Amino acid sequence: MSSWLDYTINGLIVGNVYALVAVGLALIFGVSRLINFAQGSIYLVGAYIGWVAVVQLHTPLPLTIIFVAVVAALVGVIIERFGLRPLQNSVRIAPLLATIGISFVLDQLVMLTFSPNPRALPSQLPDVRFQVGGGTIGPLDLLIAGVGISSALLLFVFLRYSKLGWAVRAASQDRDAAMQMGVDVNRVNQAVFGIAAALGGVSGLLVGMYYNQIDTAMSLQATLKGVVAEVVGGAGNVPGAVVGSLLLGLVESYGVAVFGTSYRNLFAFLLLVVVLVLRPNGLFASARQAPPEPLTGTFIAPSRPVRIPRWALAVAVAAFAILPLLPVSFYILQTLINAWLLGMLALSLTLVAGTIGQVSLGHAALLAIGAYTSALLSLTLSVPVGLAIVAGGLMSAALGTILISPSFRLRGHYVSIATLAIGEIVSLVILNWESVTRGPIGISGIPPLSLFGYDLISPNSVYWFSFAVMVVLALLQARLLGSHLGRSFRAIRDDDIAARAYGLSLNRYKSLAFIFGGFAAGVSGGIAAHLYSYINHETFNTQQSILALTVVILGGLGNVVGAIVGAVALVGLPEVFRIAAEYRILIYGIVLLLLVRFRPQGLLGTI
Amino acid sequence: MTTGTPEPLLALSDINTFYGQAQVHFDLSITVGRGHIVCLLGGNASGKSTTMKIILGLVKPRSGEVMFDGASLIGLTTPQIVRRGIASVPEARRLFADMSVRENILMGAFVRNDRDAVAQDLDRMLTLFPKLGQRLSQRAGSLSGGEQQMVAMARALMSRPRLIVMDEPTMGLSPLYVDRVLELIRTINQEGVSVFMVEQNASLALEIAHEAYVLQTGRIVLSGPARTLKDDPRVRDAYLGGSEAA
Repeated sequence: MSSWLDYTINGLIVGNVYALVAVGLALIFGVSRLINFAQGSIYLVGAYIGWVAVVQLHTPLPLTIIFVAVVAALVGVIIERFGLRPLQNSVRIAPLLATIGISFVLDQLVMLTFSPNPRALPSQLPDVRFQVGGGTIGPLDLLIAGVGISSALLLFVFLRYSKLGWAVRAASQDRDAAMQMGVDVNRVNQAVFGIAAALGGVSGLLVGMYYNQIDTAMSLQATLKGVVAEVVGGAGNVPGAVVGSLLLGLVESYGVAVFGTSYRNLFAFLLLVVVLVLRPNGLFASARQAPPEPLTGTFIAPSRPVRIPRWALAVAVAAFAILPLLPVSFYILQTLINAWLLGMLALSLTLVAGTIGQVSLGHAALLAIGAYTSALLSLTLSVPVGLAIVAGGLMSAALGTILISPSFRLRGHYVSIATLAIGEIVSLVILNWESVTRGPIGISGIPPLSLFGYDLISPNSVYWFSFAVMVVLALLQARLLGSHLGRSFRAIRDDDIAARAYGLSLNRYKSLAFIFGGFAAGVSGGIAAHLYSYINHETFNTQQSILALTVVILGGLGNVVGAIVGAVALVGLPEVFRIAAEYRILIYGIVLLLLVRFRPQGLLGTI
Repeated sequence: MTTGTPEPLLALSDINTFYGQAQVHFDLSITVGRGHIVCLLGGNASGKSTTMKIILGLVKPRSGEVMFDGASLIGLTTPQIVRRGIASVPEARRLFADMSVRENILMGAFVRNDRDAVAQDLDRMLTLFPKLGQRLSQRAGSLSGGEQQMVAMARALMSRPRLIVMDEPTMGLSPLYVDRVLELIRTINQEGVSVFMVEQNASLALEIAHEAYVLQTGRIVLSGPARTLKDDPRVRDAYLGGSEAA
């Protein structure tokens, strides 16, 4: 069973599955210069449609595959038409954020429809295995290989010999010139999304059958793996995506063979970061490929920030400060404490994503570093909690900046991918580094908040403590942005080449932003750890990173007051309206989509 | 303005264009007579390329009218405009670099569905541009600038257009190719295709054009038969003097 041939076969099969996702991503990237973060959600939808077909409709296998492909293609076409086409003239990062919103919405809809519990997806093939050399191979392996190879062939024929295929290729090389040949680029986009979605959906079905099980966590994993394979192969390069996928499958499979299953994803993301840093255009990019210039551009929509007079801010701070003295319920205080913690994370992200323009999708990792540092210091070395939280902030600042520094040379979408991968790597290291982090068991019995020997256990004291820390961080950040540093940050965001030409050292300023942002996020994570008293590697996940991004966009990128207003709004409003927990993520996704579409400058405006 | 010509093929009238707050065109009016070569002269940032983009529907003017063969183009998409019979040779050629020369030329016929006639037209292009014959299966991006210009022109002709708009067709070419391109524009025109070209190199453009317009910061400051403009001291001062250096 555990022969090298087996691992090779397994790697190639899994690689085939990744290829179905990655090829779709490459097609979409080719035509729209967009990394479609909703691709994994379509894969998830495909798996669940397959479940409906197999378990409820009892369709035969060929019909199941066709059914899944058609429904998934429809979903893809709808996403393109209503989610992305309206953003055509928007800033470059807007469609990327929209696909993130769409993926949240789709995942949650699947979860609400089918419940988050895993379901068994029976393979419709006989469960026999044939001896091949020293390994074994089953009918499902052959099916996956067959679907992979025939999809690749079909795609090749389509691109090479059909009129629409020519249009796709022309549009991906020069969109404007293709339009001037009479190519309807909207139709091309639609076709590409349909094809990508059909492939992704079928991939989800096959994976479900392969592991005999489907659950809603598949979505993000699939997106991540697809993105890894695509970037390794060279963004927008369709054959490259296939090779990148097979390579990824093999690297994972051999990695699992040597180190064990829990290392599978770690290898995937390390491969991604290495490729991004060393060969950002992918392994197979030749010199002739266009520079990734169209990927630049941040999400700063032109706007005039809302000016809030100082006295109004002072009044607001005072009002929130005396709130616990008024007859308010414990529940409201609890909600606001969560808002202050999220506010600190948002301060961090609004600096990094808004002011200096590095849209981070892995910000929760900074929370995790701060939380684990503070928890472990206070628990194992009996460091006083107040000090441990500060240490958590410093550790987050240092480690976060060191981890992100290799990707300082990247721009635009690539920064987002790199930060996403680094976020995953941090979570996987926490999971695997059992001697320090206690691995999957997590850390329990973390001492409660205390300051100078006094325990802060009452809701009022926790409220004041977190509010005060947040206000201090906000004041520091506002002071920072008012100085020449703030100007330099914004210059780098708006035009990094021009900024460099004026003598700004990009690396130094990006480091400074991440150090400050890392500290704020680390402190937030540290406080959270002592508040929750239990944390594990999943406490601070990608969902939180995206929530923070939504908060920051809601408030207005780069806007200090906006970050806090956004946090209060996104944490508070669902509570006020008593929205059940399972609908909240759905609502965050919808809020993100609506913001990107209708008010990209946020509530208070970008700075 | 276009004395002695019948109803014009293309007429832009009172065009006002804005990029954000900045006005690019001020009451711009240009006509292209049937069978004519009309050239639009102007320096950098005079609004020349934007004029081309307006004809092709890539930029929408805030006000004004664009009539082609008696029908308005305003509100049509670029592909729709191409189907009406306008082809383009974009600035810097804009070939599909990773597609072969043959595929590039055939992309020009994207709006046509008559396969056999398209094949014949491809042969015709090879007689018109004999050099491309040996290059057909080569990647378009690997050709020299002059060869690329030939491909771009062949590509434009493949849609059997009534009007070709060209954005600085001689830009960046060696002197040898400049002459060749001008000659080809004349040949194309003699076959009945009207040409509207945007140029910085006034002396060359005026040699082959029937009519010319001079655009300065968004306003037409001079217009008339090319022959007259060539001798006009204002054009001479503004453009011809500097054109030798360019």
